[in-house]
Amino acid sequence: MTDIDVHHLAAAYALDALDDRERFAFEAHYGACDVCHSDVHEFRDTLTQVAASLSTPPPLSLKDRVMAEVATTRQLSPALVPVAIDRHRRNRSWTMFMAAAAAFVLIVIGLAVFRGGNDTDTYASELAKVMDQTDAKVVTLENKSGANGSFKVAWSQRLGEAVLIGEELPAAPSDKAYELWLLHDDQAMAMYVLDSAADGTVHSVVKTPADPTGWAITVEPKAGTPVATGDIIYIATL
Amino acid sequence: MGVLRSIRARPDSTADLHDPAGELLRRAGRGDQQAFAELYDALAPLVHGVVLKVVRDPSQSEEVTQEVFVELWRLAARFDGTKGSARTWAATLAHRRAIDRVRSEQASRDRQDRDANQTVREHDVVAAEVESSLDQVRVRRALSQLSELQREAVELAYFGGHTYREVAVLLDVAEGTVKSRIRDGMIRLRDELGGVS
Repeated sequence: MTDIDVHHLAAAYALDALDDRERFAFEAHYGACDVCHSDVHEFRDTLTQVAASLSTPPPLSLKDRVMAEVATTRQLSPALVPVAIDRHRRNRSWTMFMAAAAAFVLIVIGLAVFRGGNDTDTYASELAKVMDQTDAKVVTLENKSGANGSFKVAWSQRLGEAVLIGEELPAAPSDKAYELWLLHDDQAMAMYVLDSAADGTVHSVVKTPADPTGWAITVEPKAGTPVATGDIIYIATL
Repeated sequence: MGVLRSIRARPDSTADLHDPAGELLRRAGRGDQQAFAELYDALAPLVHGVVLKVVRDPSQSEEVTQEVFVELWRLAARFDGTKGSARTWAATLAHRRAIDRVRSEQASRDRQDRDANQTVREHDVVAAEVESSLDQVRVRRALSQLSELQREAVELAYFGGHTYREVAVLLDVAEGTVKSRIRDGMIRLRDELGGVS
């Protein structure tokens, strides 16, 4: 899929007319694309008018059921907006991570991070490459912490690459960092210390040293660690 | 990561002037159930209308509408008026949840056959359900400005809950053609209806 194709999906996206694979690719793209962002907003406003023309009051009894469920449903906290002191650090401060195997259960495999001059372009084209593989897989990591944000991983073992997509991630506690782990059988391989952008976005490409059976993100000391020690905040197992 | 610090999202107070539902949603985000009840009254016909159109089954539609409102309640504190109105947020969420419901239902069926047989009927129903309120007249007029293929593609996607690939099969045209008709159709619709919701 070329970038031009991705732009043209804004209308179909607003209509919820993309399959999961394309929706995922588009969502990864449009966070960083002003044109698509404004297209999607305008199309959604337009569709809200179409929706309004369909207005049908639900049965009166539904309100009681909704309010009863609301009364026993916890609300999420407001989204935290991470603010970068120096946005330009984004392109430089990626923590590269190479370490030797450490423990029996938890071992470290190094990582290689693609990082071009324009990270959005590099990332978008790598994502397209991964998604074009016949063995491409996508998971959304389950948020275990109740914190904000979402995290997805797309990968192709044939290609040996994984693309990370984090949106609206909260800042890690000071002197801590989020670290991504590739789960393989009963091992957790240190993949990558997350460095989110000002808006909590992570767009990154890493090599996958083994066929993943899951992914997890933990809170670790800022420099990263070869062995997972902190709480799991996101996880997906296959 | 260390250079990041966190602040609370600041509600954009100017947005409230044009978005009364947004103000109710913000109050609901602080746990105000009375405000949420008012929000329900304001948005229930919008949400239920779009859910019913896509899901069609009345009792399933009620379940989905309930899901949508409980989700609006859960997420209320995250509403950001600078990113769009509360109505648009609710309508977007309602359509998405309706789609989730029909797609998970259909996943286990041979939907291709069933849907092909339903296409004609769905169009009849769409036409029959359009009544004479102002919104409906405007939307019907705007839809009539679209070419036949644009209109069919947009309607099958939005009302029928089909992906554009499925629309291509239903209309027996190339995927690329459907993709561009959907885009052209949405641009036309936007220009006809304007962006205000």
